[in-house]
Amino acid sequence: MTVLNTRISLVALACAFVSPSLLAEDSSLTNPAISAVLNGYYQTGERPLAESPDGFGLGETELAMSANIDDMFYGKITAVVEMHDGDTELNLEEAFIQTMAMPAGLSIRGGRFLSDIGYLNNQHLHTDSFTDRPVVYRAFLGGHYFDDGIRFNYVAPTDLYWTMGVEAFKGDSLRAADEHGEREFKKVGVYTLYSKIGGDIGDNSSWQAGLSYLRNENGQVTAHEEGEHEDEHAHGDEHAHGDEHAHGDEHEGHSHAASYTGKNTYGADFVYKWAPNGNYKYQNLTVSGEYYRVSDFTPIDLHPEDAPSQDYHQGWYLSSVYQFTPSWSAGVRYGEADTQELHGDHFHGQKLKESEVSLAWHSSHFSTVRFQYTNQKGTNFDGIEDDNIFTIQYIMSLGAHGAHQF
Amino acid sequence: MRINSNLAKLAAVALSVTYTGLAHAELNVFACEPEYAALTKELAPTASIYSATTALQDPHQVQARPSLIAKMRQADLVVCAGADLEVGWLPMLQMKSANAKVRSTDHGLFFAADQIETLDKLASVDRSMGDVHVQGNPHIHFDPTRLLKVATALSAKLTQLDPAGAADYQKSLADFTTRWQAAVPRWEAQAKGLQGKKVIAYHSSFRYLFNWIGIEQVADLEPKPGLAPTSGHLASLLTRAEQGDILAVVVASYQDERGAKWLGEKANLPVVMLPMSVGGNDKSQDLFSLYDSVISLLNGVK
Repeated sequence: MTVLNTRISLVALACAFVSPSLLAEDSSLTNPAISAVLNGYYQTGERPLAESPDGFGLGETELAMSANIDDMFYGKITAVVEMHDGDTELNLEEAFIQTMAMPAGLSIRGGRFLSDIGYLNNQHLHTDSFTDRPVVYRAFLGGHYFDDGIRFNYVAPTDLYWTMGVEAFKGDSLRAADEHGEREFKKVGVYTLYSKIGGDIGDNSSWQAGLSYLRNENGQVTAHEEGEHEDEHAHGDEHAHGDEHAHGDEHEGHSHAASYTGKNTYGADFVYKWAPNGNYKYQNLTVSGEYYRVSDFTPIDLHPEDAPSQDYHQGWYLSSVYQFTPSWSAGVRYGEADTQELHGDHFHGQKLKESEVSLAWHSSHFSTVRFQYTNQKGTNFDGIEDDNIFTIQYIMSLGAHGAHQF
Repeated sequence: MRINSNLAKLAAVALSVTYTGLAHAELNVFACEPEYAALTKELAPTASIYSATTALQDPHQVQARPSLIAKMRQADLVVCAGADLEVGWLPMLQMKSANAKVRSTDHGLFFAADQIETLDKLASVDRSMGDVHVQGNPHIHFDPTRLLKVATALSAKLTQLDPAGAADYQKSLADFTTRWQAAVPRWEAQAKGLQGKKVIAYHSSFRYLFNWIGIEQVADLEPKPGLAPTSGHLASLLTRAEQGDILAVVVASYQDERGAKWLGEKANLPVVMLPMSVGGNDKSQDLFSLYDSVISLLNGVK
C-alpha cells in the first residue's frame, strides 16, 4: 500500500509540473519534458493474454517527465494509469537514470526501465501501430518487459551501427508460477544479452537487426510433491502436478506477468524502413519481425513419459505499416504463439494465430484514431477457434514532443 | 569496412599534411542539415563532415535511425539549426550514441539559432496552433546577415575544439566573410525586382528569405504549421489568389507539390520549387550557388 501511495504522489508531482506556464516557457532540451498520453477504445472481443478487455475501455494512460539531471545524468519517470475490472491502478513503468558522460561509447542505466531485448520491447505501447502487442510478446514477455535492474551498454565507433548490452533484473514478472508459495526464487532473476546492428541503404531505406538472449533463473516450472494432498513425505520422487503455469491475469488480478516462461529465451529481430528520398513526412513504410524461442521450461525432475511433444515454446510476428499520406496509415500483421501448457501431469500443445489489419487516421503528429480487425485461430488455446475482433481506438499525446526511437 | 574507412581517413590526413602542412587533428563533424554541412565545409575544409539529412528530407520528421547514431557516436562536433527544429530526433540520437563530447553546447554541440535573434518568437504556444516553435522560426539559413553571424560563432567553436587549427579557421572565416560580403549586394541587386511581391508558400520555410528580399507571404498552403494542405483550405487559398496580386506559389524541395500544383492550375499561378538547402537542386552545390539558384528561380517567374 505504501508503494501505491508513493506512486500516487509521483503522479501528483508530475501533474503539478504540467502547468500552462511551464509549457509556454522556453522548452529547450534541458528543461523537463512533460507529456501525457490518452488512450481509449471500444472493441467487440478480447485478445488472449492482452490487457484490454472488451467493450469500452481505457488503454494505458501515460504521464511522463524527463530531463537532464545535470551534465552527467538523465532521468525519466513514466507513470501509467490502467483500468482493470473497475479498479484504477497506478504503475511505474519507468523510473530510471542514465549516464550521459561516460567515455568510449559506454552508458549505464539503472532503476526501472524497459529491457532493450528485441525490437518492440523498448518502445512505448502508444507508439505501436496496433492495439495490442503481438501474441508472442503477450505470451513470453507480459506485453512488454520492464523491470528494476541495471544495464551496461556499448556503442562501437563504427560507421555500421553496432551496439551491445547486458542487463540484470529482479525478474518478478517473468517468474514461473508458484501456487503454493514454497519456492525460493532468486533475487536477481533475469539476465539479458543483446546486440544490434544497423545502417542505411542509399537515401531511401534504413535497417536494423538484432539478437537477444534472456536467462530467467526463475523461469522453469517447479514440480511440487505429488503426495501433498495425501502423505507429504511418503514419496521421495516428485511429479509435475496440477496446472502449473502462471496465468497472472487469472490468478492475481491484473499483472504484466508473462504467461509462458522458461530458463532460456532466444530472440531475433529486424526492422526495415523506407521513405521516398528518405523523407518520412508524406509516405513511409515499416516492415518488422521478431522470433522468440523459450526453452527449458519443464520441471527438472519431470518424468520422461510426461515430457511435452515439443521441448520449447516459440512465437513470431511479421508486420508491415504503410503511411500513404500524412494523415492516413494502414498496417497488416500476422503472428503466432506455439506453446506447451501443463495440464495435470502432462503437457498439451496449443497454438494461436493472429491476423490483423489496421487503418489509422492522424489528424496531426500527435493524434491517432485507429480501426483494427483481428482474426484469431486457435488450437487448444483458451477455447479460441475462429474469433473476430473489431477495435476502434484513439491515442493522443499532449505536452512535450518526445523523440521517437527508430 | 572499418579498416577501409580508417585507411581512407589516414590517407586523407596524409594528403592534407602533404598539401597544406596542417598538423592539427581532423575534426569529425555531424551536421543536422545540409546547409550547416556546407557552412562547416567553408570554415573547416579539411574536416570530415557528415550531413544527417538531405535537402529533400523534412528536418522536422527525421528517424533517429541506426546510421545517425553510429555517425554521432564518432562526432567531435554536432552542428544543428536548433530552436527545437530537431526536437523529435536529436535528443534520441544523443541518448543512443553515448558520446559525451556532443552533449552540451559548452562542448561539441552548436545550435545556429542560439547565435542570432530568430523571427516569430512566441510568448505562448498551444498545439491548436499547429506544430509551432516557441523559440521562433528555425529556418534561418536564408538570411545572409544572420548566417554570417552564425559562421563567426561556428568558427569560434571550431577553434575551441581544435585550438591547434586556430590560424586555419581564422583564415577560412576571413576568406568566407570576404566572399559572402561581396555576394550579398549582388544578390540584393538581383532580387530588387522581387521587392513587395506577394506569394503563397508552403509552411514558413522561407520566412527569412522573404524577410530579406522583401517578399510578402500572404497565405500558407498548410492550414496550420505542420499539417498537410486540406481541400477546404486550398479552396480558401483559391479565393485569396483570385484577387490577382499573387506572384507565385512557392514550395520547398522537401514539400509535397500536389496542393501547390492544384492551386497553381486553378488560379493560373506559376509554382516554384525552391531548393531548401544545398543539394535541393542540381545547381545548389554550396551556400553561394544555393542563394544564386533561389534568386534566379524567383526571378524566373516575374
